[in-house]
Amino acid sequence: MSASKTATPARLLTQVSADRQTGALVVGGHPGGAVYVLEGRVIYAESPAAPGVGELLTASGRLAGRTWQNALDQGTSTAQVGRLLVEQGHLTQGELELCVLGATYDAAYFTLAPTMAPVEFLGGATHWLGPIAHIDPAAVNREVRRRTKLLDDIFPDARVDTAAVTPVARPPRERVTLTALQWELLVHADGQRTPADLALLLGRAGFATIQELRRLAALGLLELPEVRAEAPEFVRLPRARGTAVGVPRSAVRPDDVPTVPVVAGVRPAAPSPPPLPSPALVEPVPAEESTANGTVYRPPRLARRKPGAKLPKEIAAEPPQTHPGTDEVLLKRIRTALRALR
Amino acid sequence: MPGVDHCLQEAMAIPGAVGASIVDYTTGFPVATTGAAPNSDHEAAAAGTADVVQAATSRSLFVSALPHDLLEDLIITTAGGYHLLRLVHTDFDSRLVLYVWLDRQQGNLAVARRRMQKLADELVAT
Repeated sequence: MSASKTATPARLLTQVSADRQTGALVVGGHPGGAVYVLEGRVIYAESPAAPGVGELLTASGRLAGRTWQNALDQGTSTAQVGRLLVEQGHLTQGELELCVLGATYDAAYFTLAPTMAPVEFLGGATHWLGPIAHIDPAAVNREVRRRTKLLDDIFPDARVDTAAVTPVARPPRERVTLTALQWELLVHADGQRTPADLALLLGRAGFATIQELRRLAALGLLELPEVRAEAPEFVRLPRARGTAVGVPRSAVRPDDVPTVPVVAGVRPAAPSPPPLPSPALVEPVPAEESTANGTVYRPPRLARRKPGAKLPKEIAAEPPQTHPGTDEVLLKRIRTALRALR
Repeated sequence: MPGVDHCLQEAMAIPGAVGASIVDYTTGFPVATTGAAPNSDHEAAAAGTADVVQAATSRSLFVSALPHDLLEDLIITTAGGYHLLRLVHTDFDSRLVLYVWLDRQQGNLAVARRRMQKLADELVAT
């Protein structure tokens, strides 16, 4: 309907609902998500940071994975997965409604809280769960703002919401009292899992998870992420290594092997030459490899390192930028998009 | 099939009921409301409800005296009314409480408590 543009998701939701439209408001960025609107009323929302109805019901053991999958198989095409589950007696209407309401407000928080994000409205899109709840969008927006404030009142540091959770090795106080959910989070935090991972793993609401994490951070029980882990102020260019492409290699070649022009031809003509190590660190090419036909090009190898040893400073590239959970987020967005197409 | 709205209708049928709601007590958000609310503000009432439940579950020792000794309900009596909070235990992750405000003259605490227990169970029972 409208092309993706950067806007305030909450404002666009208000516009869309004022026109009594039907479709999905898809919000990009991290974590992003989608809010489904039916004739101006919010019927569902989903976000990679918040477990959906299926995850909540199966992670808690309320529904067997098979039961949920069956309902998906039968009801997705007609968008009545929720109704099927009730009709087949797997859930009560009350449970379904409460679960949908909880999941919707939970995902809406992550989807609508950013003040600016790429937003797209897919007109006509419906959700496979079917309309279970019909929520006033103004109430959703109000609740999102209230939740943002709730978190900031606890501990005003939004990095806690997304960074991998690392409990401190030694608590900063003699006596620590935890709630049951805080205990669960600490037991499952391994320094790799993000709050979204933990919420999915434990089948806990995403907001409840970050709420407890902020409380833990306020108690000084979590390692805070690095201040400037990402977003450097300037772009760092790769360091220049070596002067020219051919020079280091010809220098290390044993003298008896003739440097034939073919060697240069084999090298891919890359627009930017790959960084070569300084000559001192290059292992001489073993004789038997080059004597066979004299033209075999072996890329210079580094001296063997001990397992776990770091690369020499001159050679070590910048560590690859790691975005924890990027793949998962991407896969979920693809899944969301595919479902919207069905 | 009893849904959320049906549950609230039934709650309003309890003798003396003037208002009812279902509140998410982690966030203090009224998931569903009906009838009157103290100070005519369901959202403020929900936030207050959440504070009370949080105080009972996480800041008092009553509910940790014995293992699996879960909180069932909280009853607050005032000169003019009764405020009953019944925890709704779902199998999936949620923190919900059924709140009913009763008029002191017409309400009967024992009857209301039993009716609310039934409602909360029916809402999630299979």
